[in-house]
Amino acid sequence: MPSTQTNLLQGTLDLLILKTLALDELHGLGISRRIEQITNGTFQVKPGSLFPALHRMEEAGWLSSSWGESENNRRAKYYRLTKAGRKQLETETEQWSKISIAIASALGAT
Amino acid sequence: MRARVSSLWRNLMQRNRVESELDDELQAYASLLADEKARMGASPDAARRAALIETGGMPQLKEEVRDAKAGIMLDTFWRDTRFGVRLLLRNPSFTVVAVLALALGIGATTIVFSIVNGVLLSGLPFPESERLAMVYIHFTPQNQEHGTMSIADYLDWKTQSHSFEEPSLYTNGGWGLFDLTGAGESEHVRATAVSAGFFSTLQVKPLLGRVFQRGEDSGSSPREVVLSEGLWRRHFGGRQDIVGQSIRLNTIPTTVVGIMPSSFRFTHDTDLWLNLRINPPTRRGPFPYIGVARLKPGVTMRQAQAEMDVIAQRVQRANPTSYSNLSFPVVSLRDAIVGKVRQSLLVILGGVFSLLLIAVVNVANLMLTRAASREREMAVRLSLGAGRSRLLRQLLVESTVLALVSGLLGLAVAFGGVQLLKAWNPGNLPRIETVHVNGTVLVFSLCISLLTGVLFGLVPALQASRSDLNTSLKEGSRSGTPGTARRRMQDALIVAEIALSLVLLASAGLLLRSFALLEGVNPGFQASPADLLTMRISIGGTKYREEASAIAFYQGLLDRVRSLPGVTSAAISDGLPPDRRADYDTFTVEGETWTQDSNPAVTVALTSSDYLRTLGIPLLGGRYFTEHDITGSELVTVISESMAKRYFGGRDPIGRRMKQSQPSLGNPWMRIVGVVGDVKYTGLDSSSEPAYYWSYKQNTSPMMYLTVRSTIAATLTPTIREAIRELDKDVTVTGVDTMENTMARSVAQPRFRTGLLAIFAALALMLAAIGIYGVVSYSVSQRTHEIGLRMALGAAQGSVLRMVVGQGLQLAGIGVTIGLVGAFIATRSLGALLFSVSPGDPVTFIGVSVLLAAIALGSSLLPAWRGSRIDPLVALRYE
Repeated sequence: MPSTQTNLLQGTLDLLILKTLALDELHGLGISRRIEQITNGTFQVKPGSLFPALHRMEEAGWLSSSWGESENNRRAKYYRLTKAGRKQLETETEQWSKISIAIASALGAT
Repeated sequence: MRARVSSLWRNLMQRNRVESELDDELQAYASLLADEKARMGASPDAARRAALIETGGMPQLKEEVRDAKAGIMLDTFWRDTRFGVRLLLRNPSFTVVAVLALALGIGATTIVFSIVNGVLLSGLPFPESERLAMVYIHFTPQNQEHGTMSIADYLDWKTQSHSFEEPSLYTNGGWGLFDLTGAGESEHVRATAVSAGFFSTLQVKPLLGRVFQRGEDSGSSPREVVLSEGLWRRHFGGRQDIVGQSIRLNTIPTTVVGIMPSSFRFTHDTDLWLNLRINPPTRRGPFPYIGVARLKPGVTMRQAQAEMDVIAQRVQRANPTSYSNLSFPVVSLRDAIVGKVRQSLLVILGGVFSLLLIAVVNVANLMLTRAASREREMAVRLSLGAGRSRLLRQLLVESTVLALVSGLLGLAVAFGGVQLLKAWNPGNLPRIETVHVNGTVLVFSLCISLLTGVLFGLVPALQASRSDLNTSLKEGSRSGTPGTARRRMQDALIVAEIALSLVLLASAGLLLRSFALLEGVNPGFQASPADLLTMRISIGGTKYREEASAIAFYQGLLDRVRSLPGVTSAAISDGLPPDRRADYDTFTVEGETWTQDSNPAVTVALTSSDYLRTLGIPLLGGRYFTEHDITGSELVTVISESMAKRYFGGRDPIGRRMKQSQPSLGNPWMRIVGVVGDVKYTGLDSSSEPAYYWSYKQNTSPMMYLTVRSTIAATLTPTIREAIRELDKDVTVTGVDTMENTMARSVAQPRFRTGLLAIFAALALMLAAIGIYGVVSYSVSQRTHEIGLRMALGAAQGSVLRMVVGQGLQLAGIGVTIGLVGAFIATRSLGALLFSVSPGDPVTFIGVSVLLAAIALGSSLLPAWRGSRIDPLVALRYE
């Protein structure tokens, strides 16, 4: 579904990245593959939207980054959630569930 | 927060590193992607190509990342700023009061700083000027702290010291006026004689030609002159070929060797410099010279002074009849030029900083009051998940915006103030031409603006971010009692404000009192200063070389001036009050033993016969001079009261004889015919000085003061100038002014510092009053409910009034107490600036405390009265 990625809301991408990093630190490609995996391939995140989002979130203080070695010995930049990031994840999760319930009930209403 | 600051730093300052790191990151992504594709079976080449295509155009991606990064920083900053500006605009009365208070504070501080920066901090216009030193002499009988030395002292210094590169010498206050003749109209010019090393010591370069060279100051050297650029352009039309030519000074041919640019100024103005032609001295004197020299590298002023002390001991041992208490003070050039005003300026700087601090405290208080009404806003935002640091930042952005606007306005105030100050120079400040609003001043001004913004923004910000969510929401819900933490903070700020005001008031009060005493000092003459017109008359060195012709000229001048309409009387003298001391010398009294310590140098004034009468110097015994006291008759003198009391062994001095200098010099005896009151000749702040007068007809000088007494003195200037020109067009008349203006000018510096500090104190008082008023009326409005309750329960209006005023006075009491302690410490630094008032003067301290308490009472009365008029019914319903 190549069209979904362009329609990905900014807020949604942020939430997905936060969620992905909640368990472990990952590099860019890892994040993108992980999102693909946990959304069962619904969302495919391309570098063109991934990197701006990562840097914006790092600037906002939700992520921190450091250089490390990848599984096959390549240098890669790893991202990890900060304390503020975890808080943000909580807030956004809460918001999202409110919205999704609201949307669902709105759509379910006749 | 630190991570945020460091990331901002990274973005702004290390752009290139950020860029290349981004490159690395994208490269890494592409290669990881290629690896993945290779694992899935693609050939390495195909995998890399596909990976690059998928990663997309790198430049475009980088652009997007950059936008995302910059966006978030700028976005929040802009939002905060816009929000802040909107808030400030919505509350215009708060904004205007705060901006005005701060702008005044910042403007005043900037003005004072630009003076301090120019006068005290900026470098002197000489290379390595910190190594330049002035060398003076101090000894009895001369008794001047920084006295002028003789050639013999200079030669002792030059041959015995090793601390200085090249001891040099120049004449203080000019060598006098010279007649410059030939090439155009004749002119009296101011000359300074300097030793050969003078210019090379200062390391200044001539505009044309050369300066004096080593060895050109011996008795056999040719007469040479270096002209100032001003004289060269004025008198010689800027002719380049004048260098090397001979001009006539007092008819003596002198060769022009160079021209100094007008940018070269030393301690006093002069038209030209002559080379000193030093012959081996036959005696120690006269004493017109000041030493100037450059310390050898690595030698400190202190070391140089230590060496000069040893030399002084040696010189004194060799010349016991000339000197006692001999020393050669070494003073850095900077101290010599600005030493006297440094303390004044530092006191003024301290005063203006206190004022700024008071303004900041005041605005902080206003912000706190306002923060109260925003407490719910903050609590709501906190509960909705805003970070405390985010709120803190927003409050700081708001206060910084306020401070920067005030700073800009303050800068405008400073620009105007500095221009005014330079045009007017009310304090007679040295080096005023170096005062500018320049880069340093601008940076200073920006810094204090930001600092004040942070200072007064931090207090309410910390308060707001520390406040407990629950209580805020609850407290705000009903106006019961206001937040006690904030109340305490406000009270503390008011106490600080009152304490600071008291320190400032006490300092200003002391200066005002001492200035009033200084202005009230009796200068020693009874004529009204507005009725006396004084000027300096210079007859030059050639035309009237014969004493008789000079006396005849002065006599003709006096006759002429006396006949002018409106003139009551006229006199000439070689000294005038309040600070134009003539000569001073030791004296010998017939029948009293002579030592330097018992017969120190006193003022000697040459006067025409009616000088004492013209100024109204009271006659205490004997008689004034008369027209019969002329050359050839018995020499007579009139002495001052304190001279009569101190040096005549308690007996009546009238009829006794005395003479100038020590007995061995063989001066003629003079009969004392009168005793007159003491006159201040060395400044209004000096102690009463012994002096004696003799008639100019017994001895004359080429430069004298003319004093005209008339009820229309101020309007006589053109008439008198015209009369003198008709008598002799070559006579130079300078410094024409009334005695009233001259006396005012002599106290210009104390007036300046006193005036400034008084203005600061008045502003501080005003700010304190506003501060107290604000806090008390705010607390009344917060306690409306409580007051209503009290009144409903039967409290009388009077008791409410007392309660509220009591609160204001309590704060004032604590503030005054702390302030008194501070003032006691701070005013000790005023010491040397005070005239017959001690730093801890109880009258001043009590006076300013009462004044401040009265202001506190006054500014809490109005809100208290309003509080006592509260209608209990309305108040209880009021929310």
